[in-house]
Amino acid sequence: MMTPPRLAAGFALAFVLAFAGTATAYHTRFVADNCNYAVPTSTSYITRDGSAAVALRARHEGYQWAGGCWNDNDRDDAPSDPHEDPYTGGEGGDCSGFTFKVWREALDTGDAGFRQWGLLRFVHGPYTASAFRAGAGAPNVTAPKWGLVKMDAFASDGHIGLIYAVNPDGSDQIIEAKGEAYGTNIWTRTYRGSSSYSGVRRIGWSS
Amino acid sequence: MQSRLRLRRRSFATTLGILLGVVTGIGAASWSVAGAQQASTEPQDVFDVTHLPPLLTTADESIDLAYDVHCAAAEDESGDAGCDAHGTVFVRPIGSASFAALPLVSRVGGGVRQLAVVVPDSFRGTRGIEYYAELAASPIGRRVTLPAGGAAAPHVSRPLLDSVSVDLARHIFGSTGRDGSRVAFASWGDGAGQAGLEHGRNLGPIGASAFDVDRGGSVFLLDQVNRRVLRWDDGSKLASAVPVSVNGTLADMSVADDGSIYVLETTAAPGRRPLVRRFDDGGRELVAVEAAERTPSQIRIENAGPVVLGRPSHHWMPMVVNGVPASQEQQLEHGRPGRRFGGGMEVVAARRGNEVRVAVIASRAVTRSWRVTSATPLAEVQLAEPWGQRLVVVARVYDDTADEFVVLVLGRNGLVDRFALDSADWAEASALGRFKLVGPSLYRLGSSPSGVFVDRYDLEVR
Repeated sequence: MMTPPRLAAGFALAFVLAFAGTATAYHTRFVADNCNYAVPTSTSYITRDGSAAVALRARHEGYQWAGGCWNDNDRDDAPSDPHEDPYTGGEGGDCSGFTFKVWREALDTGDAGFRQWGLLRFVHGPYTASAFRAGAGAPNVTAPKWGLVKMDAFASDGHIGLIYAVNPDGSDQIIEAKGEAYGTNIWTRTYRGSSSYSGVRRIGWSS
Repeated sequence: MQSRLRLRRRSFATTLGILLGVVTGIGAASWSVAGAQQASTEPQDVFDVTHLPPLLTTADESIDLAYDVHCAAAEDESGDAGCDAHGTVFVRPIGSASFAALPLVSRVGGGVRQLAVVVPDSFRGTRGIEYYAELAASPIGRRVTLPAGGAAAPHVSRPLLDSVSVDLARHIFGSTGRDGSRVAFASWGDGAGQAGLEHGRNLGPIGASAFDVDRGGSVFLLDQVNRRVLRWDDGSKLASAVPVSVNGTLADMSVADDGSIYVLETTAAPGRRPLVRRFDDGGRELVAVEAAERTPSQIRIENAGPVVLGRPSHHWMPMVVNGVPASQEQQLEHGRPGRRFGGGMEVVAARRGNEVRVAVIASRAVTRSWRVTSATPLAEVQLAEPWGQRLVVVARVYDDTADEFVVLVLGRNGLVDRFALDSADWAEASALGRFKLVGPSLYRLGSSPSGVFVDRYDLEVR
């Protein structure tokens, strides 16, 4: 007769290891399984509305440090990726990759033109939050915070978020890729008044 | 012989168990993956509307109702083409029974497509208007009512007819002059009496996101990273810890008179809204209620229970109605633009450019109001609450390199007291939860690279 405790213990151990191993493999294969490297579409007409729509499609998707590829199914398909690891291949952008894609910028920092990147196009772009804060690159300029409007940004040395709406109390609704535990979404923030943050604007909007 | 047979049976059982476990485990994981992959990965239609309600207007300002409409068909991945949206605003003078329909007209404002209307002066009267909007994008079959409570909980715009003016002139940074007393301090860490810090290479420091103070002077600090509330009883240097089952991200918190701890989370499970969790003073979770709107930002306690400030309505919504947890529909239908205090008093505060407007409402009309102007830009209003016959307002002043909070005590004839505090916001906390007023004491949540603290400032009457 077999010994049930050993059978159960073996089953439990193997189940956990197999499930975790398979699930982890899945979580780290989002980019490999879903993303592409298609050439972006150049466009001469770009609106803040259009960028708001691009940003809203990233809403509820995940966050991936150094990432830049997401779908539009309103869930993080690679949840709980290890923090501080840019190579896990998870879904979502990080804050600066999200901003680059929403502002539809070019990989060439000297090019201020517009590029429409597909949701599933994996691209982070050449800018960190700190570089955005400094107004690095031809498309980006620093701007006084008091004058910033929808789809302008507040950037610190470690983070950047885009203005989605202003609240009556003077805070802002910010759309941002916040972190692995947060994903990409809209939250009330007080970046406008915080001296850790500077104002940044993408130039060349069509309207 | 028998022991060898027993050993063989044990080995066989273990091997069989492992085999079954591997097969089942891979199957279960693959099933969950398949389930995840069944969700749409194609772009969806986009339809979202934002609106900044003109809560308080002056006599020379028109009531310009503008709705930013973000609309894009699924096949328009750039979103630049927009789509054909239309809408109607339903307006009535405060006190009137019926709403009149005003069609919204397309325009571009602030670089974005809007639907807008200027409300005729005939609606305004002396008490102001109530209104809500219904907007639709026919090509994609989407509709929205804003605020979502519609006629039951409309937006309200009130006129400031006889307000007291306060001019702050240009703010001089670095001239903070009021000494506070430190009533709570926790260094960063995971040990006893410490507060956890969420810190990543692509994430600024986040920690101890909310606090509250009860009438007895006990300080409560939400240490969401370590999933606990730290409590300092009045005069105590040592904190006790109450474990709470929160999800560990930025959250707001208020403590009720009965000792209940209410935590408003700001992140939620896929497809769900953030939760308000109620714990007893020992940390046992009593109830969790889902907020009605996507972006709730504050939780406070009123006489009837906890209220949450929702977005995009900008309404304070009750989380308890008739003594029981409120459904989302009930939250929306009971929303209001101001916070209620004792005696039926309601306070409405708004920042417009470099001006903060504050009004005390009673019997649905403005009874007292102030217009606070500043030559230095003003950011958010952190607090606007009555203190006896006075009103305490805390707002942030800023330029592109510095920021501080200004504390204003407003009286019937103007400014009674004023001082500035450094922002002390090294670690990110709940956006609008840095100040609490308890009687004549103003408490401020602050942080530095060494830890998080709560300071008390005793308000003075000159």
